[in-house]
Amino acid sequence: MKKTGILYDKRFLLHDTGPYHPEMAARLEAIMQGIKSGGLLEKLISVSAKPADLKWIETIHEPDYIQKFKEVCLSGCREFESADNQICYDTYEAARLAAGGVLEAVDMVMEGKIDNAFCAVRPPGHHAESGQSMGFCYFNNVAIAARVLQRKWDIKKILIIDFDVHHGNGTQHLFEEDPFVYYFSTHQHPSFAFPGTGREFEKGRLAGLGFTKNCPLLPGQGDKELKKIYKTELFPLFADFKPEFVLLSTGFDAHIDDVMSDLKFSSDCFEWIIKEIIKQANQYANGRIISVLEGGYSLERLPELAKTHAAALLDG
Amino acid sequence: MFVSRSMTRKVITIDKEADIFEAQAKMAKNSIRHLPVVDKNNFLIGIITDRSIRTALPYDLFKNPADQDARKKISDLKIKDIMTKEPITISPMYTIQDALLLIQEKKVGAFPVVDDKGKLTGILSVRDLLRAFTNVLGIGEPGTLLCVLVEEKVGQLKKIVDAVTKENISFGSVLVARYWDKNKRAVFLYLLTLNVSRVKKKMEELGFEILNPMEWYLDQLPQST
Repeated sequence: MKKTGILYDKRFLLHDTGPYHPEMAARLEAIMQGIKSGGLLEKLISVSAKPADLKWIETIHEPDYIQKFKEVCLSGCREFESADNQICYDTYEAARLAAGGVLEAVDMVMEGKIDNAFCAVRPPGHHAESGQSMGFCYFNNVAIAARVLQRKWDIKKILIIDFDVHHGNGTQHLFEEDPFVYYFSTHQHPSFAFPGTGREFEKGRLAGLGFTKNCPLLPGQGDKELKKIYKTELFPLFADFKPEFVLLSTGFDAHIDDVMSDLKFSSDCFEWIIKEIIKQANQYANGRIISVLEGGYSLERLPELAKTHAAALLDG
Repeated sequence: MFVSRSMTRKVITIDKEADIFEAQAKMAKNSIRHLPVVDKNNFLIGIITDRSIRTALPYDLFKNPADQDARKKISDLKIKDIMTKEPITISPMYTIQDALLLIQEKKVGAFPVVDDKGKLTGILSVRDLLRAFTNVLGIGEPGTLLCVLVEEKVGQLKKIVDAVTKENISFGSVLVARYWDKNKRAVFLYLLTLNVSRVKKKMEELGFEILNPMEWYLDQLPQST
């Protein structure tokens, strides 16, 4: 059994996206209800959310962008940069807490206080670019965590695995020239899904060429295709790249019951994904995994999906 | 919509007295396949393509590009000897549609663009047309593509636009394409949002069919047998 951290804070619920928005506070409540009902909460180690130090956010986001985001939130405006991004007064603070909580989990893993962690945060992050919010995302939590691992903890090789149904354009762009951060993504094919990036031929740039891997799935595809990609692409990648740390952009929206996509992953498939990643990480990365919530919108399915995800991290 | 807006203005050209190797080097350096040949007053007198160069090169040089004897022999050959004289040209006031149709009909890769006196003002290649089409599709911006099947009658698009607008969603592009069923049209909506689940539901409530993405067809429909 592993020492597994859980990051959750009621203040993540204060990010109010208004009525009818799929990225709603009830998602996190469903996730936590699943974890509690599974009797897991007592076994998990609490990771506390503190606002991320601006100096770390600024390693990823432009200061002007951060300032503008803060001002628009505090102005009471309900929309930031696009109609997708519904915000409120507390959104800036929630986003800083989410990023800061993930950084706290990073520190705890590196200090040996926990082995791995599940960060049930919102707002999500993987669409956020250096100077641009997008697709419900403001601060790129996973990207900031990768920078802190590089600069504070001197981790040489980081593997980011993104299995959200949408391509993590922000994360890819932020590290596409960096050969020390490998971005691996499975997602619904960009011609059939937001945001329209993540095509097979996007493989990184300059020194980072060959350190980005996109595996798009076609509408209707599911467990069989995902497992094949993991076996033929991801597992060999662990052996080749030998990451010292694994960051997960965990999205549950490829689930068959999630209306946000046309992919058909079963609940079992999500369990298989995390268990297989853990096996690989145990072999190559000392078991160091931080899983950070991105999408996943089926309130009916989120409790069980979160429960099996956290249970797998605990079982290690 | 005019060619003048989409063409490449800084044209890389070549002199008619230049040799093949110079043309080859210019193409390689700039990743292009067409070099208009102009006189000293910039009047178009021909065009040279990577294909015309390849046709002119002897086998020895294919086998060994550094073969000095073969290079010397071929260097006597001038651009004016192998260029296509009187190439098909277009005017900057042609539209993109003119160019699309003409490039398909003539099966060439690029058109030199000349003014009414015959002076070269630009070049329009397949790449420029593709860029324009990419732009029309709107796929440079983040969004989600949907395909809605509607009956071929007046007023259908209005219903769709009203429903999408009510959801406070912006359009990246709208394309209307033919569909197998002659009485129907496939409407491709590129919506600048991640969240299309409510729009999809609304379309179905309006009686429209959301077409399965695996059945989308943007090209000409094949002839049914």
